[in-house]
Amino acid sequence: MIRRSIGFLVAVGTVALVLGASQMRLPAFPSADSIVRVSWSARPERVETCRRLTDEEYAQRPAHMRRRVECEGTTARYELRVLRDSVLLVVDTVRGGGLRHDRELYVSRELTVPSGPARLQVRFVRLDSSQVADESLRADTTGADAWQNRAAREDEERERRRAEAIPAALVVDTTVTLQPRRVVLVTYGDAGRQLSVRSGPQ
Amino acid sequence: MAAPQRSLERFAWRGLAAADRLFNRLYGWRSNPLYQSGTIAVALLGVLIVTGLWLLLFYRLGTPYESVARLTASPITGNWVRGLHRYASDAALIAVVVHLFRMLAQGRSWGPRALAWVTGVGLFALLFVCGWTGYVMVWDEFGIVLAREGARMMDSLPIFSEPVVRAFSGERPVATAFFFVNMFAHVALPLGLAVGLWLHVSRVSRATLLPPRRLMWGVIGLLTVAAVAWPLRMGPEASAFTLPESVSADMFYSFWMPFSRRLPGGVAFASAVAIFAILALVPAFTRRIANRPVASKVDEDLCGGCVQCTLDCPYGAIQMIPRPGERGSKSAEVARVNPALCVSCGICAGSCAPMAIGPAGRTGRDQLARVKEFLRSPELHRGGVVVVGCDRSALALTVAAASEDAVFYPVDCAGSLHTSVIELIVRAGMRGVLVAACPPRDCWNREGPKWVNERIYNDREAELQARVERRRVRLAHVDSRDIAGARKAIAAFAAETAALDAARAEESLEVDATCVTAAGVAE
Ligand code: HEM
Ligand code: SF4
Ligand code: SF4
Repeated sequence: MIRRSIGFLVAVGTVALVLGASQMRLPAFPSADSIVRVSWSARPERVETCRRLTDEEYAQRPAHMRRRVECEGTTARYELRVLRDSVLLVVDTVRGGGLRHDRELYVSRELTVPSGPARLQVRFVRLDSSQVADESLRADTTGADAWQNRAAREDEERERRRAEAIPAALVVDTTVTLQPRRVVLVTYGDAGRQLSVRSGPQ
Repeated sequence: MAAPQRSLERFAWRGLAAADRLFNRLYGWRSNPLYQSGTIAVALLGVLIVTGLWLLLFYRLGTPYESVARLTASPITGNWVRGLHRYASDAALIAVVVHLFRMLAQGRSWGPRALAWVTGVGLFALLFVCGWTGYVMVWDEFGIVLAREGARMMDSLPIFSEPVVRAFSGERPVATAFFFVNMFAHVALPLGLAVGLWLHVSRVSRATLLPPRRLMWGVIGLLTVAAVAWPLRMGPEASAFTLPESVSADMFYSFWMPFSRRLPGGVAFASAVAIFAILALVPAFTRRIANRPVASKVDEDLCGGCVQCTLDCPYGAIQMIPRPGERGSKSAEVARVNPALCVSCGICAGSCAPMAIGPAGRTGRDQLARVKEFLRSPELHRGGVVVVGCDRSALALTVAAASEDAVFYPVDCAGSLHTSVIELIVRAGMRGVLVAACPPRDCWNREGPKWVNERIYNDREAELQARVERRRVRLAHVDSRDIAGARKAIAAFAAETAALDAARAEESLEVDATCVTAAGVAE
């Protein structure tokens, strides 16, 4: 009988331990700091390097592909800089995703900073731009008999892409009060094509 | 002889043996939960499936937190079911860890058991991930902490071009698709567990999947009472903008977080993979290369084709095949052992009446030769009690037998004991034979105690002959390290047999070695 009672108590004690361990406090964010979260995705701008073909190269092209000027495209790199009270927290180069960097670019940073009022500056600036050695090249369509309007259409397309892409320079420079254990989110696209700062759901 | 333990196993076994003794004292060997860790885990998985299906009825992907909160607020249909689901998952994890530790300590991790070991590690990992996804489903503070930690690890892999962690950045509400994928994983993983469990026990015959009823309902009942008596409370809802100082967490599924969070996501993920990989590789470290126990072999001339060994082998390692060569008057079929499945437990040696099978040096015939030598020993006190027990219990039984003026006679496993050995000991004039087998659910060879019991008391083939006076034979279940328990069993048997007439020693000690077969009597 005594053994049974002890057995019962041990079983109850074990279950109590299980219950206790099942609902224990786990330190999640013990410090009183804040987090500056810099997070967005956007389409990078397409940049092109254009050059005039030599007569020989020009002659080698199939007739329907002949253009005096050829452009090779890729996507721009951007520089991210985050400063708190003019102290640089992050400087980083951001490119489009995917092997050829032709997908959307993603910015995702969590910066732990002391709480309190602070000047927060975030800059996102394009590093590369299209290489067009001679602006007159753009309009040069010599020899493209079958494609008279092509250059114009390509320019249009370029414009459209540029409008979809993230602007060449984004800056936010603001004073915020960083609350302990709260997140300040710097994101893009909440209000059009610019960076914005918020500390709660939209 | 059984393979010697490795130092790691010996160390693990020492700890286990102490706990076993304590639990045996408290609950008796029939209800010792430590012996039943694997089956308790299965029973708890059953509880998780039943309670999980119920909870799923109330879960809403669009409003996960609110739906769980509604359920938690309902004391009759929700709260205790949620509590039971949670505590059963905790208890299942404990049971699996005990089971793993037990298998390691008992040297049951390598050779033909490696499949069970490796799939066991897989089950362990699945159970863990299942618990993880379950807590994310709730979408409270703990849920988002787990989700972000998982995302951090996933982002270290070159799989996703978009960082997964952005799903919880607060830029926009968390997508319903995320809750769908998470819930799908939580529901699909148990299917993986079921398939894994089937593989896990695929190499054992007659896998015992559930604990004895009393123990099973005791465990489930206790967890249910706990779930009712301590209702769960809802934590605050997950928020992308608030960082709680601490969260109410289930330590069984998050004990690793304080460590992992200090590491870069990739290192944390690699560490988790490495831990499970090392666990899965244990069979490579524990296997015996030099002193690997030999597989059982059949002497086809002696085999009478009775199929008993195929029925008794706990690992399904024996098959009947057409008798090779000239059949003559012999059986059409003979037994054949598949060495890749044989763990060398020797149990078949005890099931074969004509003593045709067994690992080299441990067949019935080898056992007879050895016991005859034992009985010829001049130091043997005729008229005393002989305690037969397995190697694992040797230490406890030697000490206990000595203190009760009995003598210990070791065999590999009680299940490998040929009943003719018992017969010869009795006929040699000893007062009685106490077969001290391990508790049935703790047999290192799974079914030894069960078969020896059947052979002594229920005329299972290779039975103890009727001419052996049953009052002089006793089967007791003694934990392998329990000296006090062994002493008690021996003392009780010695006292009972003391009252019997003096045993008569026979001059000639020969036994029949026959088995009844479809083809007649083989000798
Ligand atoms: C959800 C998790 C698990 C469950 C439900 C489970 C359950 C079981 C069951 C019911 C058996 C058969 C017992 C018998 O009839 O003899 C068994 C055997 C076994 N388990 Fe597990 N197990 C689990 C995890 C593990 C783990 C993590 C390991 C070790 C890494 C492991 C190692 C083994 C071994 C080696 C055997 C075979 C023992 C033998 O053949 O002698 N199991 N398990
Ligand atoms: S020793 Fe005999 S009973 Fe044991 S696994 Fe091998 S064949 Fe089966
Ligand atoms: S005679 Fe022995 S070896 Fe042959 S089938 Fe029967 S038990 Fe197996």
